[in-house]
Amino acid sequence: MSYVGVDEPSRKVLLMGNEAIARGALEAGVHFCSGYPGNPASEILDTLAGLARKFDFYVEWSVNEIVALETAGAASFTGLRALTAMKNLGANVCADFLMTVSLSGTRGGFVLVTGDDPSAHSTTSELDTRNYARFADIPLLEPATMQEAKDMTKWAFDLSEELGVICLVRSSTRLSHSRGAVTLGPIKREKRSADFSPDDTWTSGSSRITSMFHSMLHEKLKRAQEKFENSSFNWYVGKKDADFVIVASGTGWLYSSEAVKLLGLENDVGILKLGTTWPLPEKLVATHLKHAKEVLFVEETDPFLEQNVKTLAAELAVEGIGPIRFYGKKSNHVRGEFGAGTGELDVDVVVNSLVEIKKLGYVPIGKEYSEKAQKLLSSYVPSRSMSFCAGCPHRASLWAIKKALKLDGRDGIVTGDIGCYSLGMLPTGFSVAKTLHCMGAGIGTANGFGNLKRFGLDKPVIALVGDSTFYHACIPALINAHWNRANLLLVVLDNNTTAMTGHQPHPGSGLNALGCISPKSPIEDICKAIGVEVTVCDSFDLDNAVKKLHEILQAEGAKVMIFRHECPLAFPKKKKVRVYVDADKCIGEGCGCVRFCTRVFGCPGNIWDYEKGKAKIDEAICNGCKLCAKLCPAEAIIVEEEE
Amino acid sequence: MRMEEPLNIIITGVGGQGNVIASQILGSAAVEDGFCVSIGETYGAAQRGGAVMSHVRLFKQNEYGSLIPQGGAHIILGFEPIESLRTLGSFGNKKTKVIVNPRPIYPIDVLAGMAKYPAVDDILRVIKELVSSIHVVEATELAKEAGDSIMQNVVMVGCLAGSGFTPVKIETLKEVINMIFAEKRPEANLKAFELGVKAIRETKPL
Amino acid sequence: MSRIDVKGPADLQKDILNKGLCLACGACANLCPYINMVEERPVMIESCGLSEGKCYDFCPRTYVDLPMLDKIVFGAYRSDLAIGSSLAVMKVKSRDDRIKSTAQYGGVASALITFALQTGEVDAAILTKSKDRITPQPALARNKKDVLECAGTKYVVCPTVTGVTEAIRQGTRKIGVVGTPCQVIAVRKMQASKFEIGADKIGLVIGLFCTWALSPRVYSFIRRVTGSVNVVKLDVPPPPTNTFTIETEKNKFEVPLDEIRKFILPSCNVCFDMTSEFADISVGTVEGEEGWNTVIVRTSLGKKFFQRAKEAGIIEVAPLGKERLDHLREASLNKKRRALKEMESLKTSYLILREEDRSKLTL
Repeated sequence: MSYVGVDEPSRKVLLMGNEAIARGALEAGVHFCSGYPGNPASEILDTLAGLARKFDFYVEWSVNEIVALETAGAASFTGLRALTAMKNLGANVCADFLMTVSLSGTRGGFVLVTGDDPSAHSTTSELDTRNYARFADIPLLEPATMQEAKDMTKWAFDLSEELGVICLVRSSTRLSHSRGAVTLGPIKREKRSADFSPDDTWTSGSSRITSMFHSMLHEKLKRAQEKFENSSFNWYVGKKDADFVIVASGTGWLYSSEAVKLLGLENDVGILKLGTTWPLPEKLVATHLKHAKEVLFVEETDPFLEQNVKTLAAELAVEGIGPIRFYGKKSNHVRGEFGAGTGELDVDVVVNSLVEIKKLGYVPIGKEYSEKAQKLLSSYVPSRSMSFCAGCPHRASLWAIKKALKLDGRDGIVTGDIGCYSLGMLPTGFSVAKTLHCMGAGIGTANGFGNLKRFGLDKPVIALVGDSTFYHACIPALINAHWNRANLLLVVLDNNTTAMTGHQPHPGSGLNALGCISPKSPIEDICKAIGVEVTVCDSFDLDNAVKKLHEILQAEGAKVMIFRHECPLAFPKKKKVRVYVDADKCIGEGCGCVRFCTRVFGCPGNIWDYEKGKAKIDEAICNGCKLCAKLCPAEAIIVEEEE
Repeated sequence: MRMEEPLNIIITGVGGQGNVIASQILGSAAVEDGFCVSIGETYGAAQRGGAVMSHVRLFKQNEYGSLIPQGGAHIILGFEPIESLRTLGSFGNKKTKVIVNPRPIYPIDVLAGMAKYPAVDDILRVIKELVSSIHVVEATELAKEAGDSIMQNVVMVGCLAGSGFTPVKIETLKEVINMIFAEKRPEANLKAFELGVKAIRETKPL
Repeated sequence: MSRIDVKGPADLQKDILNKGLCLACGACANLCPYINMVEERPVMIESCGLSEGKCYDFCPRTYVDLPMLDKIVFGAYRSDLAIGSSLAVMKVKSRDDRIKSTAQYGGVASALITFALQTGEVDAAILTKSKDRITPQPALARNKKDVLECAGTKYVVCPTVTGVTEAIRQGTRKIGVVGTPCQVIAVRKMQASKFEIGADKIGLVIGLFCTWALSPRVYSFIRRVTGSVNVVKLDVPPPPTNTFTIETEKNKFEVPLDEIRKFILPSCNVCFDMTSEFADISVGTVEGEEGWNTVIVRTSLGKKFFQRAKEAGIIEVAPLGKERLDHLREASLNKKRRALKEMESLKTSYLILREEDRSKLTL
């Protein structure tokens, strides 16, 4: 339960960053919302979907990010206020439309919210989407606090509507997934009707027209820049006309202010906090470059501000600004574990930069303590690897694939894709998968691996993909495999949900974002229509699954196997069972088992009783899927159906 | 009580133990009691059985980012012993106060035979050497008493409330619990909370 | 006191599988989640990490301590090096027409195992079944009909011992086995092993004479010769024809035996056991007399059972004759001689013999 839909302006409530963004859209009177699930942005649309009915606006999960941006774009063309939200890598998927809708212009306020992921906690890249703003020539806003997450999103609609261009609001993990106090504003509900008159055209044009539109876009940016010069989202605090200025944006702002406080530098340095970062509010920045002799840039992840401000400084050199010593990523001061420009920021990164630059004798609280503790940890505390949940069908599917490939004996290649099953590269997935890039890259690369026989690569190729990812990105690649005769087996892990991001529905679910019944496009029908042979199986029927996989791998051409079994978190069983180990039957470490359940299969519900030297079920974690009971070589795992 | 500013609390445990709800309860109650709050969590991929932390920071003036700096934790609320020790390593200091649920959750690395899980008594002893005080509460057992072992997180929030380590009021926490669990057994969760409050008051530090 | 080091799966992989010494008997497979059979190959799904295991202990190619096994199975060392311990050797044929028409030669193996099932000597029997004669599978038989479906020689290897393991797991109380010499040795090793798997449930073991077995790769060769029709019978006629006959429903094909020899498993070349020396009763051909089988009764269990079968009239018995017996012994000794020579080139010393016997064979 959350306060995000509460209609009490001026009330202060605890909101997650993503909720604050959704609230900002609500207060701006958004009409049309779209997106594709992707962390750290998933909750933006989840929250909006939860508010849609009450506040009478439209929310959809689209099949992928480019369709999401296009549908919302159309809504904007008709005069409605539209928002599209996605994770950082989603921006790559919708880039084609982003680069052209910036030129065609928009009508109703159109806001694109991206969730960046420094340190790649949830994604496969630290991609900094601010670069897209500069690339697409569109205004960029970077919220630094929960309050700004709300207020900037709200303002972005006004800005976009006034200028007629899509605006980018860039969030990141520590903003999106953190919670903080937000003062709510009034909720605006303005009824608008969608208009498309016969005279309307929406295009980025071609030839000279495009260049003209391009120039018009530059004009819009200039007008945005004028507004940015006076924006309340930019401010300067600390020593007036300081020699040492920190230029910070996004999460960098709070980390910098806390670092400055910890080091006792409040009266020695100034902090220029920027919230409107493309185009740069050049006059504002120039006022502070005038008095600065040293500038430290604190931003996540790329040296975006760093490079743009340095360019400005170079231009202003003729006016007497500088020389300035710049610190940040290029100088290797602001760095993560693996170097500058990588990894996420935190207070300690900023503290260390300042200590190094200013040669301070500061020792963090308990540095010695931490060294002592770290020594204990490395020799004493076991690491905690990720694992599939108890009862997860991916465990069964990946074990079936591992077995089938071993039985096949040709060292088959398995390509991975994005979802819970990305863990197929880890021991929990028996390290079966060997590649992982972006949505759809599993079958995409499998197309290549499956067509290299003439170059001597003659191994079976299996591409893994989840149901949601299938719809998102795999259909063209499957057509390609059929058309170009790639030898591959696409294994679709269909658990009837988009699990990793919070169990959102997809085109196979039969439900939409608003929870209404929706037409389905079954995966097997799509495959058949493409012309490939499809087999459907439940990997919990392991022996059968292994046998079928092994058979299919002997044939040439593109084929599909759908392993279908519902995600136990999304569809919890109503009937309870009690699963326990009959210790007398358990072979344990002896020949014939050697701890198959705990050592190999790895369900977190299978644990080891170190005293008895036998297997045990952790009944708090066990979800009653009964798979280990089926696999136990001694039939020592007992299942009791409870009444 | 005179509070450190910001007051840094870390709730640490294993994905699935209910960190997020615990931090939400604590944070919402703090806001109702007039504090500003900043909460940072690990979401998404980390949840799949991995270690998770919630950083909860209370303050009245200024504003703070959601990540607690190295060595900056005043309180660690540990849902699991190894994770409590792990968190101490990066964020603890001599003055840190710890409340820990000693029930181990074995990482699959240990179950697979790739690593050893130390004896819980050893872990608690090491924690004691590193901190100002450590209280051990069998929160999972208390949760079972209240009706379901999954409410272990609510018991622990009760422990934190009853310890007096934070200025957040017990009554406010109860109201928030009632609201958050309005549709799913608020009475059981309240009972879990109260058992936690009682337990910490009856427990001497190690 | 064992002269042998029982080792584990890593050694099985290194010493046997990687050296091409596997016989596809199936003894190592399905004992645990880690080793399965794919056609004639055992495949290790995952390493269990044990340094000692059943897979190594049961395998007929890791070690065969001949004197020790003789002692365990027969109570004493063999009196005849050539064909092993025996209580009687004779010529036998089945009296059942259906069995004779379906089975190979005298139909004795089928007749005996049918009788064993019918009289409760065993509850179930592990046999080998193959519809097309070319892709055999282990099969569990409980009655005559089941046995008839398994009758007839299959020249291709079959992991029959996995059927024994499965029957034990299912709780079958008295299990009969009809197998080739290597399969019989695997079964005896299971019974003698320090690892407990319930091998005491194994009862009557009937062993077949064998000179070699073929890889399933012979399948595509036979299909090329016959086209895609069902093979009804395979046969190696007695020397000097040097041919291999393939009978389909419509035709009979003859191919040079040398074409078939290309598919013989390399491990057959180090096999010393032509007459299933460790069975309770061994059954083979009588060269030149297609309607009969040579039968060697070896153990007291075998003798008692055989006596009952004879008294029940299901088989006809005749003396084998000295010439035929000498011929059999000579053939068996020759196999042993060849095997010892091959063991050097295949770098295996799995066979433990008394020194004087080894000298006799390497003269």
